[in-house]
Amino acid sequence: MASIIGHNPHSNSIGYSFSQPTNAGNKEHSFYPYTDNGGSVLGITGKDFAVLAGDTRSTSGYNINSRYVPKVFKIGGDQETGEGAHILLSVVGFAADGLALKERLDAVVKMYKYQHGKPMSVRACAQRLSTILYGKRFFPYYVQAILAGLDEEGKGALYGYDPVGSYEREQCRAAGAASSLIMPFLDNQVNLKNQYIPGSGEGHALEAKKPEPMPRDTVEQVVRDAFTSAVERHIEVGDGLQMLIITADGIEEIYHPLKKD
Amino acid sequence: MSSPFDINGGACVAMVGKDCVAIACDLRLGMQALTVSNNFPKIFNFAPGTYLGLTGLATDVSTVSDLFRYKVNMYRLREERHIAPQTLANLVSSSLYERRFGPYFVSPVIAGINNTTGKPFICGFDSIGCIDFAKDFIVSGTASDQLFGTCEGLWEPDLSPENLFETISQALLSAVDRDALSGWGAQVYIIEKDKVTQRLLKGRQD
Repeated sequence: MASIIGHNPHSNSIGYSFSQPTNAGNKEHSFYPYTDNGGSVLGITGKDFAVLAGDTRSTSGYNINSRYVPKVFKIGGDQETGEGAHILLSVVGFAADGLALKERLDAVVKMYKYQHGKPMSVRACAQRLSTILYGKRFFPYYVQAILAGLDEEGKGALYGYDPVGSYEREQCRAAGAASSLIMPFLDNQVNLKNQYIPGSGEGHALEAKKPEPMPRDTVEQVVRDAFTSAVERHIEVGDGLQMLIITADGIEEIYHPLKKD
Repeated sequence: MSSPFDINGGACVAMVGKDCVAIACDLRLGMQALTVSNNFPKIFNFAPGTYLGLTGLATDVSTVSDLFRYKVNMYRLREERHIAPQTLANLVSSSLYERRFGPYFVSPVIAGINNTTGKPFICGFDSIGCIDFAKDFIVSGTASDQLFGTCEGLWEPDLSPENLFETISQALLSAVDRDALSGWGAQVYIIEKDKVTQRLLKGRQD
Protein backbone atom coordinates (compact mmCIF):
# COMPACT_ATOMS: atom_id res chain seq x y z
CA MET A 1 0.00 0.00 0.00
CA ALA A 2 2.73 2.45 0.94
CA SER A 3 4.53 1.79 -2.31
CA ILE A 4 1.44 2.70 -4.32
CA ILE A 5 1.01 6.03 -2.51
CA GLY A 6 4.69 6.90 -2.52
CA HIS A 7 5.21 6.22 -6.19
CA ASN A 8 4.31 8.98 -8.64
CA PRO A 9 3.31 7.23 -11.88
CA HIS A 10 4.03 10.38 -14.03
CA SER A 11 7.69 10.83 -13.09
CA ASN A 12 10.28 8.29 -14.27
CA SER A 13 11.17 7.51 -10.66
CA ILE A 14 13.78 10.30 -10.44
CA GLY A 15 11.24 12.72 -8.86
CA TYR A 16 12.01 15.82 -10.99
CA SER A 17 11.62 17.00 -14.58
CA PHE A 18 13.08 19.69 -16.88
CA SER A 19 9.98 19.98 -19.06
CA GLN A 20 7.58 22.89 -18.38
CA PRO A 21 4.38 21.88 -16.66
CA THR A 22 1.71 21.85 -19.37
CA ASN A 23 -1.41 22.30 -17.23
CA ALA A 24 -0.36 25.41 -15.27
CA GLY A 25 -3.35 27.55 -16.37
CA ASN A 26 -2.64 31.18 -17.28
CA LYS A 27 -3.60 33.58 -14.52
CA GLU A 28 -5.41 36.66 -15.72
CA HIS A 29 -4.25 39.81 -14.01
CA SER A 30 -6.34 42.94 -14.04
CA PHE A 31 -6.31 46.47 -12.71
CA TYR A 32 -9.44 48.56 -12.50
CA PRO A 33 -8.54 52.17 -11.82
CA TYR A 34 -12.03 53.33 -10.77
CA THR A 35 -14.05 52.99 -7.56
CA ASP A 36 -17.58 54.16 -6.87
CA ASN A 37 -17.50 56.23 -3.69
CA GLY A 38 -21.30 56.68 -3.60
CA GLY A 39 -23.06 59.73 -2.25
CA SER A 40 -25.33 62.22 -3.92
CA VAL A 41 -25.33 65.90 -4.78
CA LEU A 42 -28.04 68.29 -5.84
CA GLY A 43 -28.25 71.87 -7.08
CA ILE A 44 -31.13 74.33 -7.34
CA THR A 45 -31.08 77.91 -8.63
CA GLY A 46 -33.10 80.85 -7.43
CA LYS A 47 -33.59 84.41 -8.68
CA ASP A 48 -30.34 85.78 -7.27
CA PHE A 49 -28.69 82.74 -5.73
CA ALA A 50 -27.74 79.14 -6.35
CA VAL A 51 -27.59 76.25 -3.89
CA LEU A 52 -25.29 73.26 -4.25
CA ALA A 53 -25.59 70.50 -1.67
CA GLY A 54 -24.13 67.06 -1.12
CA ASP A 55 -24.02 64.42 1.59
CA THR A 56 -20.65 63.89 3.26
CA ARG A 57 -20.49 60.08 3.38
CA SER A 58 -17.75 58.30 1.46
CA THR A 59 -18.22 54.60 0.74
CA SER A 60 -16.58 51.74 -1.08
CA GLY A 61 -18.86 48.77 -1.47
CA TYR A 62 -20.64 48.22 1.85
CA ASN A 63 -17.87 49.96 3.80
CA ILE A 64 -17.98 53.54 5.00
CA ASN A 65 -14.58 55.18 4.46
CA SER A 66 -15.50 58.38 6.23
CA ARG A 67 -18.49 60.31 7.51
CA TYR A 68 -17.09 63.66 6.42
CA VAL A 69 -15.64 63.92 2.94
CA PRO A 70 -17.02 67.06 1.26
CA LYS A 71 -18.20 66.75 -2.33
CA VAL A 72 -18.99 70.43 -2.91
CA PHE A 73 -16.09 72.83 -3.48
CA LYS A 74 -15.45 76.54 -3.86
CA ILE A 75 -13.61 77.32 -7.10
CA GLY A 76 -11.19 80.17 -7.66
CA GLY A 77 -10.74 81.18 -4.03
CA ASP A 78 -8.04 81.01 -1.38
CA GLN A 79 -6.48 77.53 -0.98
CA GLU A 80 -7.37 77.20 2.71
CA THR A 81 -10.37 79.44 3.35
CA GLY A 82 -11.90 79.51 -0.13
CA GLU A 83 -12.23 83.27 0.29
CA GLY A 84 -12.83 85.15 -2.95
CA ALA A 85 -14.39 82.18 -4.73
CA HIS A 86 -17.34 82.96 -6.99
CA ILE A 87 -18.07 79.52 -8.44
CA LEU A 88 -19.14 76.23 -6.85
CA LEU A 89 -18.37 72.75 -8.14
CA SER A 90 -19.78 69.48 -6.90
CA VAL A 91 -18.46 66.13 -8.03
CA VAL A 92 -19.87 62.68 -7.29
CA GLY A 93 -18.72 59.27 -8.41
CA PHE A 94 -15.04 58.41 -8.07
CA ALA A 95 -13.77 60.73 -5.31
CA ALA A 96 -10.11 60.74 -6.43
CA ASP A 97 -11.08 61.86 -9.93
CA GLY A 98 -13.45 64.40 -8.41
CA LEU A 99 -10.67 65.88 -6.33
CA ALA A 100 -8.29 65.95 -9.32
CA LEU A 101 -10.94 67.64 -11.45
CA LYS A 102 -11.65 70.23 -8.77
CA GLU A 103 -7.92 71.03 -8.41
CA ARG A 104 -7.58 71.40 -12.17
CA LEU A 105 -10.60 73.66 -12.58
CA ASP A 106 -9.49 75.72 -9.59
CA ALA A 107 -6.08 76.27 -11.24
CA VAL A 108 -7.72 77.19 -14.54
CA VAL A 109 -10.01 79.77 -12.90
CA LYS A 110 -7.07 81.29 -10.99
CA MET A 111 -4.85 81.45 -14.10
CA TYR A 112 -7.68 83.13 -15.98
CA LYS A 113 -7.85 85.85 -13.33
CA TYR A 114 -4.08 86.38 -13.35
CA GLN A 115 -3.93 86.56 -17.15
CA HIS A 116 -7.06 88.60 -17.85
CA GLY A 117 -7.26 90.68 -14.70
CA LYS A 118 -10.93 89.82 -14.12
CA PRO A 119 -12.77 86.87 -12.63
CA MET A 120 -13.90 84.12 -14.99
CA SER A 121 -17.62 84.19 -15.76
CA VAL A 122 -19.65 81.11 -14.81
CA ARG A 123 -20.57 80.67 -18.49
CA ALA A 124 -16.92 80.57 -19.50
CA CYS A 125 -16.06 78.30 -16.62
CA ALA A 126 -18.90 75.95 -17.60
CA GLN A 127 -17.57 75.69 -21.17
CA ARG A 128 -14.01 75.20 -19.87
CA LEU A 129 -15.12 72.39 -17.56
CA SER A 130 -16.76 70.66 -20.51
CA THR A 131 -13.49 70.92 -22.48
CA ILE A 132 -11.50 69.54 -19.54
CA LEU A 133 -13.84 66.57 -19.22
CA TYR A 134 -13.84 65.87 -22.96
CA GLY A 135 -10.04 66.11 -22.97
CA LYS A 136 -10.09 62.84 -21.12
CA ARG A 137 -12.70 61.32 -23.44
CA PHE A 138 -10.91 57.95 -23.62
CA PHE A 139 -9.86 57.72 -19.94
CA PRO A 140 -12.58 59.79 -18.32
CA TYR A 141 -12.83 61.46 -14.95
CA TYR A 142 -15.41 59.06 -13.49
CA VAL A 143 -17.61 61.81 -12.09
CA GLN A 144 -20.90 63.55 -12.55
CA ALA A 145 -20.24 67.24 -12.02
CA ILE A 146 -22.53 70.16 -11.25
CA LEU A 147 -21.29 73.73 -11.56
CA ALA A 148 -23.06 76.68 -9.91
CA GLY A 149 -22.65 80.42 -9.62
CA LEU A 150 -24.23 83.69 -10.66
CA ASP A 151 -24.47 84.62 -14.35
CA GLU A 152 -23.65 87.99 -15.97
CA GLU A 153 -27.08 89.34 -14.94
CA GLY A 154 -26.66 88.19 -11.32
CA LYS A 155 -29.16 85.36 -11.69
CA GLY A 156 -28.50 81.91 -10.26
CA ALA A 157 -26.80 79.65 -12.81
CA LEU A 158 -26.47 75.87 -12.68
CA TYR A 159 -24.79 73.53 -15.16
CA GLY A 160 -25.07 69.73 -15.12
CA TYR A 161 -22.44 67.44 -16.76
CA ASP A 162 -21.97 63.83 -17.76
CA PRO A 163 -18.52 62.23 -17.24
CA VAL A 164 -17.26 63.19 -20.72
CA GLY A 165 -18.34 66.82 -20.80
CA SER A 166 -21.85 66.91 -22.27
CA TYR A 167 -23.50 69.76 -20.40
CA GLU A 168 -26.63 71.86 -20.07
CA ARG A 169 -27.80 74.87 -18.04
CA GLU A 170 -30.68 73.88 -15.78
CA GLN A 171 -32.88 75.09 -12.91
CA CYS A 172 -32.18 71.99 -10.83
CA ARG A 173 -30.19 68.78 -11.04
CA ALA A 174 -29.51 65.77 -8.84
CA ALA A 175 -26.50 63.52 -9.41
CA GLY A 176 -24.91 60.45 -7.88
CA ALA A 177 -26.11 57.28 -6.17
CA ALA A 178 -29.56 58.56 -5.17
CA SER A 179 -30.16 60.75 -8.22
CA SER A 180 -32.90 58.38 -9.41
CA LEU A 181 -34.70 58.96 -6.09
CA ILE A 182 -34.17 62.71 -5.88
CA MET A 183 -34.64 63.86 -9.48
CA PRO A 184 -38.36 62.96 -9.89
CA PHE A 185 -39.07 64.66 -6.55
CA LEU A 186 -37.32 67.79 -7.84
CA ASP A 187 -39.26 67.65 -11.13
CA ASN A 188 -42.44 67.72 -9.07
CA GLN A 189 -41.54 70.26 -6.39
CA VAL A 190 -39.20 72.67 -8.25
CA ASN A 191 -40.37 72.51 -11.87
CA LEU A 192 -43.97 71.71 -10.78
CA LYS A 193 -44.22 68.85 -13.29
CA ASN A 194 -47.63 67.09 -13.41
CA GLN A 195 -49.18 69.97 -11.47
CA TYR A 196 -52.13 71.83 -12.98
CA ILE A 197 -54.22 74.83 -11.97
CA PRO A 198 -57.53 73.49 -10.62
CA GLY A 199 -60.58 74.58 -12.61
CA SER A 200 -58.53 76.22 -15.36
CA GLY A 201 -60.11 74.10 -18.12
CA GLU A 202 -62.38 71.23 -19.03
CA GLY A 203 -61.24 67.64 -18.59
CA HIS A 204 -57.64 67.14 -19.65
CA ALA A 205 -57.30 70.68 -21.05
CA LEU A 206 -56.05 72.08 -17.75
CA GLU A 207 -53.43 74.79 -17.64
CA ALA A 208 -50.09 73.61 -16.26
CA LYS A 209 -48.59 75.41 -13.27
CA LYS A 210 -45.63 77.53 -14.34
CA PRO A 211 -42.47 77.10 -12.32
CA GLU A 212 -41.21 80.30 -10.72
CA PRO A 213 -37.90 80.87 -8.96
CA MET A 214 -38.30 79.86 -5.33
CA PRO A 215 -37.26 81.94 -2.31
CA ARG A 216 -34.09 80.85 -0.55
CA ASP A 217 -35.63 79.35 2.59
CA THR A 218 -38.00 77.24 0.46
CA VAL A 219 -35.10 75.97 -1.63
CA GLU A 220 -33.14 75.04 1.50
CA GLN A 221 -36.17 73.15 2.83
CA VAL A 222 -36.61 71.25 -0.44
CA VAL A 223 -32.92 70.30 -0.40
CA ARG A 224 -33.17 69.06 3.19
CA ASP A 225 -36.35 67.08 2.37
CA ALA A 226 -34.73 65.55 -0.71
CA PHE A 227 -31.73 64.37 1.28
CA THR A 228 -33.61 63.08 4.34
CA SER A 229 -35.77 61.09 1.90
CA ALA A 230 -32.71 59.73 0.05
CA VAL A 231 -31.04 58.78 3.36
CA GLU A 232 -34.07 56.67 4.32
CA ARG A 233 -33.88 54.52 1.20
CA HIS A 234 -30.29 54.59 -0.05
CA ILE A 235 -27.46 53.05 1.93
CA GLU A 236 -24.72 55.11 0.26
CA VAL A 237 -26.24 58.42 1.34
CA GLY A 238 -26.08 59.78 4.88
CA ASP A 239 -23.98 61.12 7.78
CA GLY A 240 -24.10 64.83 6.93
CA LEU A 241 -25.49 67.38 4.52
CA GLN A 242 -23.18 70.11 3.29
CA MET A 243 -25.00 73.00 1.63
CA LEU A 244 -23.21 75.87 -0.12
CA ILE A 245 -25.26 78.91 -1.07
CA ILE A 246 -23.80 81.45 -3.47
CA THR A 247 -25.24 84.99 -3.58
CA ALA A 248 -23.90 88.39 -4.64
CA ASP A 249 -22.62 88.74 -1.03
CA GLY A 250 -20.48 85.62 -1.28
CA ILE A 251 -20.69 81.96 -0.35
CA GLU A 252 -22.37 80.67 2.78
CA GLU A 253 -21.85 77.15 4.09
CA ILE A 254 -24.42 75.24 6.12
CA TYR A 255 -23.89 71.80 7.64
CA HIS A 256 -26.76 69.59 8.77
CA PRO A 257 -26.32 66.19 10.41
CA LEU A 258 -28.05 63.32 8.62
CA LYS A 259 -28.75 59.81 9.91
CA LYS A 260 -25.52 57.80 10.36
CA ASP A 261 -27.04 54.29 9.91
CA MET B 1 -30.84 39.68 -22.52
CA SER B 2 -31.62 41.81 -19.50
CA SER B 3 -33.52 40.82 -16.37
CA PRO B 4 -37.00 39.35 -16.94
CA PHE B 5 -38.31 42.00 -14.53
CA ASP B 6 -37.22 44.81 -16.90
CA ILE B 7 -38.37 43.52 -20.31
CA ASN B 8 -41.97 44.77 -20.32
CA GLY B 9 -41.66 47.67 -17.86
CA GLY B 10 -44.31 49.00 -15.50
CA ALA B 11 -44.77 50.49 -12.06
CA CYS B 12 -47.11 50.03 -9.13
CA VAL B 13 -47.50 51.80 -5.77
CA ALA B 14 -49.77 51.46 -2.72
CA MET B 15 -50.24 53.96 0.12
CA VAL B 16 -52.01 54.14 3.46
CA GLY B 17 -54.12 57.12 4.53
CA LYS B 18 -56.54 57.81 7.38
CA ASP B 19 -59.18 55.06 7.18
CA CYS B 20 -58.33 54.63 3.50
CA VAL B 21 -55.76 53.08 1.20
CA ALA B 22 -54.79 53.76 -2.39
CA ILE B 23 -53.17 51.65 -5.08
CA ALA B 24 -52.02 52.90 -8.48
CA CYS B 25 -50.23 51.58 -11.56
CA ASP B 26 -49.08 52.78 -14.96
CA LEU B 27 -50.58 51.45 -18.20
CA ARG B 28 -47.53 50.74 -20.37
CA LEU B 29 -46.67 47.38 -21.90
CA GLY B 30 -43.41 47.26 -23.81
CA MET B 31 -40.87 44.96 -25.35
CA GLN B 32 -37.57 46.49 -24.25
CA ALA B 33 -37.69 50.07 -25.63
CA LEU B 34 -40.64 49.47 -27.96
CA THR B 35 -44.07 50.30 -26.53
CA VAL B 36 -46.63 47.68 -27.56
CA SER B 37 -49.69 48.87 -25.64
CA ASN B 38 -50.79 51.84 -23.58
CA ASN B 39 -53.71 50.01 -22.03
CA PHE B 40 -52.25 47.28 -19.81
CA PRO B 41 -53.57 47.75 -16.26
CA LYS B 42 -51.59 45.96 -13.56
CA ILE B 43 -54.13 46.11 -10.72
CA PHE B 44 -56.67 43.34 -10.19
CA ASN B 45 -59.70 43.17 -7.90
CA PHE B 46 -60.16 40.08 -5.72
CA ALA B 47 -62.85 41.16 -3.27
CA PRO B 48 -64.73 44.37 -2.50
CA GLY B 49 -61.97 46.71 -1.27
CA THR B 50 -59.15 44.22 -1.86
CA TYR B 51 -56.74 44.79 -4.76
CA LEU B 52 -53.58 43.13 -6.04
CA GLY B 53 -51.03 44.98 -8.20
CA LEU B 54 -48.55 42.98 -10.27
CA THR B 55 -45.47 44.31 -12.06
CA GLY B 56 -42.71 42.42 -13.80
CA LEU B 57 -42.77 40.04 -16.74
CA ALA B 58 -46.12 40.66 -18.51
CA THR B 59 -46.78 36.99 -19.28
CA ASP B 60 -46.36 36.22 -15.57
CA VAL B 61 -48.53 39.21 -14.62
CA SER B 62 -51.35 37.66 -16.67
CA THR B 63 -50.66 34.10 -15.50
CA VAL B 64 -50.39 35.02 -11.83
CA SER B 65 -53.49 37.22 -11.88
CA ASP B 66 -55.46 34.38 -13.53
CA LEU B 67 -54.08 31.90 -11.00
CA PHE B 68 -55.19 34.06 -8.09
CA ARG B 69 -58.59 34.66 -9.65
CA TYR B 70 -59.01 30.89 -9.66
CA LYS B 71 -57.68 30.45 -6.13
CA VAL B 72 -59.72 33.32 -4.67
CA ASN B 73 -62.89 32.04 -6.40
CA MET B 74 -62.29 28.60 -4.86
CA TYR B 75 -61.74 30.25 -1.47
CA ARG B 76 -65.01 32.18 -1.74
CA LEU B 77 -66.98 29.07 -2.74
CA ARG B 78 -65.54 27.02 0.14
CA GLU B 79 -65.76 29.70 2.79
CA GLU B 80 -68.88 31.49 1.51
CA ARG B 81 -67.31 34.88 2.26
CA HIS B 82 -64.91 37.36 0.63
CA ILE B 83 -61.18 36.99 1.12
CA ALA B 84 -59.56 39.48 3.53
CA PRO B 85 -56.47 41.39 2.35
CA GLN B 86 -54.34 39.70 5.04
CA THR B 87 -55.52 36.26 3.91
CA LEU B 88 -54.79 37.16 0.29
CA ALA B 89 -51.31 38.24 1.36
CA ASN B 90 -50.62 34.83 2.89
CA LEU B 91 -52.11 33.10 -0.16
CA VAL B 92 -49.86 35.12 -2.47
CA SER B 93 -46.83 34.43 -0.28
CA SER B 94 -47.30 30.66 -0.10
CA SER B 95 -48.24 30.39 -3.78
CA LEU B 96 -45.09 32.25 -4.85
CA TYR B 97 -42.87 30.24 -2.52
CA GLU B 98 -44.22 27.04 -4.10
CA ARG B 99 -42.23 28.15 -7.16
CA ARG B 100 -39.10 28.85 -5.06
CA PHE B 101 -36.67 27.47 -7.63
CA GLY B 102 -38.47 28.60 -10.78
CA PRO B 103 -40.24 31.75 -9.75
CA TYR B 104 -42.82 33.90 -11.47
CA PHE B 105 -41.02 37.13 -12.34
CA VAL B 106 -43.49 39.43 -10.62
CA SER B 107 -43.37 41.92 -7.72
CA PRO B 108 -46.87 41.92 -6.20
CA VAL B 109 -48.44 44.68 -4.11
CA ILE B 110 -51.63 44.32 -2.05
CA ALA B 111 -53.88 47.16 -0.87
CA GLY B 112 -57.20 46.85 0.88
CA ILE B 113 -59.38 47.52 3.89
CA ASN B 114 -60.16 44.58 6.17
CA ASN B 115 -63.91 44.14 6.19
CA THR B 116 -64.11 42.85 9.78
CA THR B 117 -61.61 45.16 11.48
CA GLY B 118 -62.12 48.13 9.14
CA LYS B 119 -58.33 48.71 9.20
CA PRO B 120 -56.33 49.72 6.12
CA PHE B 121 -53.78 47.14 4.95
CA ILE B 122 -50.96 47.23 2.41
CA CYS B 123 -48.06 44.92 1.74
CA GLY B 124 -45.54 44.00 -0.93
CA PHE B 125 -43.64 40.85 -1.92
CA ASP B 126 -40.50 39.78 -3.68
CA SER B 127 -40.86 37.24 -6.49
CA ILE B 128 -40.59 34.25 -4.12
CA GLY B 129 -43.16 35.46 -1.63
CA CYS B 130 -41.30 37.26 1.15
CA ILE B 131 -43.86 39.72 2.57
CA ASP B 132 -43.00 43.34 3.26
CA PHE B 133 -45.57 44.70 5.73
CA ALA B 134 -45.29 48.48 5.51
CA LYS B 135 -47.16 51.12 7.48
CA ASP B 136 -46.64 53.86 4.90
CA PHE B 137 -46.24 52.79 1.26
CA ILE B 138 -45.13 49.96 -1.02
CA VAL B 139 -43.54 50.41 -4.45
CA SER B 140 -42.73 47.96 -7.23
CA GLY B 141 -41.70 47.81 -10.88
CA THR B 142 -39.00 49.32 -13.07
CA ALA B 143 -39.63 52.79 -11.58
CA SER B 144 -39.26 51.55 -7.98
CA ASP B 145 -36.17 53.71 -7.27
CA GLN B 146 -37.98 56.79 -8.52
CA LEU B 147 -41.12 55.83 -6.57
CA PHE B 148 -39.10 55.43 -3.37
CA GLY B 149 -37.83 58.99 -3.84
CA THR B 150 -41.19 60.59 -4.60
CA CYS B 151 -43.16 58.62 -1.99
CA GLU B 152 -40.59 59.26 0.73
CA GLY B 153 -40.73 62.96 -0.14
CA LEU B 154 -44.50 63.44 -0.59
CA TRP B 155 -46.18 60.95 1.76
CA GLU B 156 -47.29 61.91 5.25
CA PRO B 157 -49.37 60.10 7.88
CA ASP B 158 -53.19 60.27 8.12
CA LEU B 159 -53.98 61.66 4.66
CA SER B 160 -57.66 62.10 3.79
CA PRO B 161 -58.96 60.17 0.74
CA GLU B 162 -58.75 63.33 -1.43
CA ASN B 163 -55.21 64.18 -0.30
CA LEU B 164 -54.17 60.53 -0.59
CA PHE B 165 -55.35 60.52 -4.21
CA GLU B 166 -53.35 63.65 -4.96
CA THR B 167 -50.26 62.29 -3.19
CA ILE B 168 -50.23 58.88 -4.84
CA SER B 169 -50.99 60.40 -8.26
CA GLN B 170 -48.20 62.98 -8.07
CA ALA B 171 -45.78 60.37 -6.72
CA LEU B 172 -46.57 57.91 -9.51
CA LEU B 173 -46.67 60.40 -12.41
CA SER B 174 -43.42 62.12 -11.40
CA ALA B 175 -41.72 58.74 -10.91
CA VAL B 176 -42.76 57.19 -14.23
CA ASP B 177 -41.74 60.35 -16.11
CA ARG B 178 -38.14 59.57 -15.08
CA ASP B 179 -38.39 55.93 -16.17
CA ALA B 180 -38.32 55.11 -19.88
CA LEU B 181 -40.03 51.75 -19.33
CA SER B 182 -43.05 53.06 -17.40
CA GLY B 183 -45.81 55.60 -17.96
CA TRP B 184 -48.31 56.13 -20.80
CA GLY B 185 -51.16 56.88 -18.41
CA ALA B 186 -52.08 55.58 -14.99
CA GLN B 187 -54.91 54.00 -13.03
CA VAL B 188 -55.62 54.94 -9.41
CA TYR B 189 -57.93 53.24 -6.88
CA ILE B 190 -58.91 55.05 -3.68
CA ILE B 191 -60.33 52.49 -1.26
CA GLU B 192 -62.48 53.61 1.67
CA LYS B 193 -64.76 51.49 3.83
CA ASP B 194 -67.76 50.56 1.61
CA LYS B 195 -66.53 52.85 -1.22
CA VAL B 196 -63.98 52.52 -3.99
CA THR B 197 -63.14 55.31 -6.45
CA GLN B 198 -61.33 54.42 -9.66
CA ARG B 199 -59.65 57.20 -11.66
CA LEU B 200 -57.80 57.17 -14.97
CA LEU B 201 -54.86 59.59 -15.28
CA LYS B 202 -53.60 60.70 -18.66
CA GLY B 203 -50.04 61.66 -17.79
CA ARG B 204 -47.31 62.16 -20.40
CA GLN B 205 -47.83 60.12 -23.54
CA ASP B 206 -44.14 59.52 -24.23
